Amino acid sequence: MKEIISLTRLFINESLGVSLFFYNQKYNKKEFYKQLFTLIIVPVALIPAYFMYISVMTATYFGLSMINQSSVFLSIGYIIATVLILVFGVMYVLSEFYFSDNIEELIPLPISQRKLIVAKFFSILAFEYIFAGLIFIPVLVIYGIGQGMGPLYGLLAFFVFLTIPVLPLSLVTAVIMFIMQSASLKGRKDMIQIVFVFLGVAAIFGLQIWFSSQLGSGDEVDFQLLMNTMLTSNEGFLNIIGYIMPSSFLMAWALNKITLMSFAWVAVLLGITFFSCALMVAIGERVYIKSIVSGKVIKKGKRLSGDARSKALTRKSHGAMAIFIMDLRLLMRTPVYFFNNISVVIIAPLCILLSFSFIEIPADDLQGIQNFFREMPVLVNFLLIAFFIFFGGTTATTATTFSREGKTSWLTRMIPVTAKDQILGRTGVAVLIQSLGIVFSIIAVQFFFPLALSTLLLTIILGLLGSLPILLFGLFMDMNRPLLNWDNPQKAIKNNMNVVITLFVGMAYTGLLIGISGLLGYFVNALLGYGLFTVISLGFSVVFYQVISKRLEVEMLNFE
Amino acid sequence: MLKLEQVSKTYGNKNEKAVDNISFEVRPGEIFGFVGPNGAGKTTTIKMIVSLLAPNSGKITINGIDNQQDILGAKKQFSYVPDTPELFEKIKGIEYLKFMADVYQVPASERQERIEKYLDIFEIKDAINDPIGSFSHGMKQKLALVGALIHNPQVFILDEPMVGLDPKASFELKKIMRDHCDSGRSVFFSTHVLDVAEKICDRIAIIKKGKLIEVGTMDEIRKKAGSQESLENIFLELTE
Repeated sequence: MKEIISLTRLFINESLGVSLFFYNQKYNKKEFYKQLFTLIIVPVALIPAYFMYISVMTATYFGLSMINQSSVFLSIGYIIATVLILVFGVMYVLSEFYFSDNIEELIPLPISQRKLIVAKFFSILAFEYIFAGLIFIPVLVIYGIGQGMGPLYGLLAFFVFLTIPVLPLSLVTAVIMFIMQSASLKGRKDMIQIVFVFLGVAAIFGLQIWFSSQLGSGDEVDFQLLMNTMLTSNEGFLNIIGYIMPSSFLMAWALNKITLMSFAWVAVLLGITFFSCALMVAIGERVYIKSIVSGKVIKKGKRLSGDARSKALTRKSHGAMAIFIMDLRLLMRTPVYFFNNISVVIIAPLCILLSFSFIEIPADDLQGIQNFFREMPVLVNFLLIAFFIFFGGTTATTATTFSREGKTSWLTRMIPVTAKDQILGRTGVAVLIQSLGIVFSIIAVQFFFPLALSTLLLTIILGLLGSLPILLFGLFMDMNRPLLNWDNPQKAIKNNMNVVITLFVGMAYTGLLIGISGLLGYFVNALLGYGLFTVISLGFSVVFYQVISKRLEVEMLNFE
Repeated sequence: MLKLEQVSKTYGNKNEKAVDNISFEVRPGEIFGFVGPNGAGKTTTIKMIVSLLAPNSGKITINGIDNQQDILGAKKQFSYVPDTPELFEKIKGIEYLKFMADVYQVPASERQERIEKYLDIFEIKDAINDPIGSFSHGMKQKLALVGALIHNPQVFILDEPMVGLDPKASFELKKIMRDHCDSGRSVFFSTHVLDVAEKICDRIAIIKKGKLIEVGTMDEIRKKAGSQESLENIFLELTE
């Protein structure tokens, strides 16, 4: 057990960079204050959103109480927590078990596979408990207070809480280990990660669509029946939800009313949780190290003939193009980068397409939307522009452009590429990704609301122009505080404050820009609105471009 | 060709200098060895030369260009291979070499000829279409060397170049270094392998705790030390 605790602490320390934090406190004050600032500012920035979540959950509880469905409240919280743990768990499990560098150092040591698996699992669990606590504890407290529950509820709720992250994480870990050991997937671990993430997103989205269609597609009689059932039976809706997540039944039976049977249900839940964990460890013992060793085999390319080499090498590219191609290749070939920077341009348009396909819009409503579009083209155009800027502001491509290079950044800092080429190449990648998002969205929207060519041209040009200052601001942030010291590419994005800052600043800027220009365009003159938008966007772009091109070469000297 | 004048560098602790007021010059046609114990300041000095770190004081000129005043101009004069070349793992070897040729603006005709020559010398032609992540440490080192030689730099800077190379590659690299200098260019490299330094360097600098304690040819160093012993023995005496 001692060994497991020590390994777990090592993994947590490595993930959080605790030792580095205290080292910086002593020897590198500048870096220490940067980390301290992040540690304080991120939780503080999230406080309003968290209060909003608690308010929504409180309102949900009272709403459900009014229709005699308060028992379903715990299940809703349970499902939200479980689904989120499942979604984020996929990335964490892949990261900790398969993409972390420490495994190569640990395999040769005399540590049993079981201890390694348990310690890695515990280290993920530690983070998931914090996450689950933030999501589920308010639900337990709201329900407990609302129903006037006593200390026994508190005790049983504590045991239920202990099981929350273990069950979904055990299942995710076991499934991932099982797939990763498959011989046919040797050398394709990057592809597997991308597939996994998209499957996860597709599953959640599919579930949501299915759920919406189940509630919305019934005819009037069925809906009436459903309402009657819900109003007369306290467990009507609970049964519907239970089918989505069977373990939520056990949790609900245990906590909705405290009886002697509650203890039995908690015991069953604990038993199932322990069994799932044991099963995961048993599967892991058979396949984990084996899959690690085979996963290290990287798929090799074909041998190149002299002609092929000559063809590949003699095509000369400009410096900006060389930076552009290299940055794009790294984004496309590193799963974590791909998912964080590129997937949004595929997922968002897909959401639009599927939503419109599955949700039937009544003819009157459709007519109403089309009338609105005809009557207020300026407002609609600015809404479209804001949506197109969204793709630029959310990709985080420029805000992590240097950070993503990590230890290889010495190369791009050493080569003689002008600041102008660096800016063009790196911003160009972000613009390309944004453009793809715009094109895919237009294709998705065009099926339902055909847009005129002039509208498309205007909104695309202004959408790209409006996002340029955000992209350049991201580059400016990453030039000033790149995160290069990481052992896992996920940290270059997830632990990077530049992403959060750029996102918040970008959203505030877009809101103001669209607000001011839109109002001017709507109330005074449309051309004036578009003109102001263009002038402000160009002005900020030029300012950021000038600042970056003057400072980049010098800032690169301060990267380490 | 490469000149350092009173260069100093401190990290977090301002009282402790990683590099303390060092000056030396690497002349055209010269292989210059830079030796010293672990943590003496060799890599910090090299990083300041190749514009990966800014010195706190002093001046570094490469081919007459001040690397603080004209950073880009200075970068065009040298190429650098670090001790552990961290390269983009997801990129193929050939893509990396094309990238290097592009950023140094090497003419199409020259790039292919040079790349083919060095791929043959280091025997990595067959692996060139594989992702760099599949390369061994030595192969990465060889690829970094080919990438650094593409633009035939005025000053070739290497940090511990022999580490990780097999004996043949090590032999070939020494030959390349000599040929490079014979064409009027310079090589500046750090090493712990004192036998190599003694055999191939025209001049040597010894650094200890950030300070330069000796600079000169092997004969000059022997003379100053008052000993006819090997560089290894003199080094041990000087750095004790």
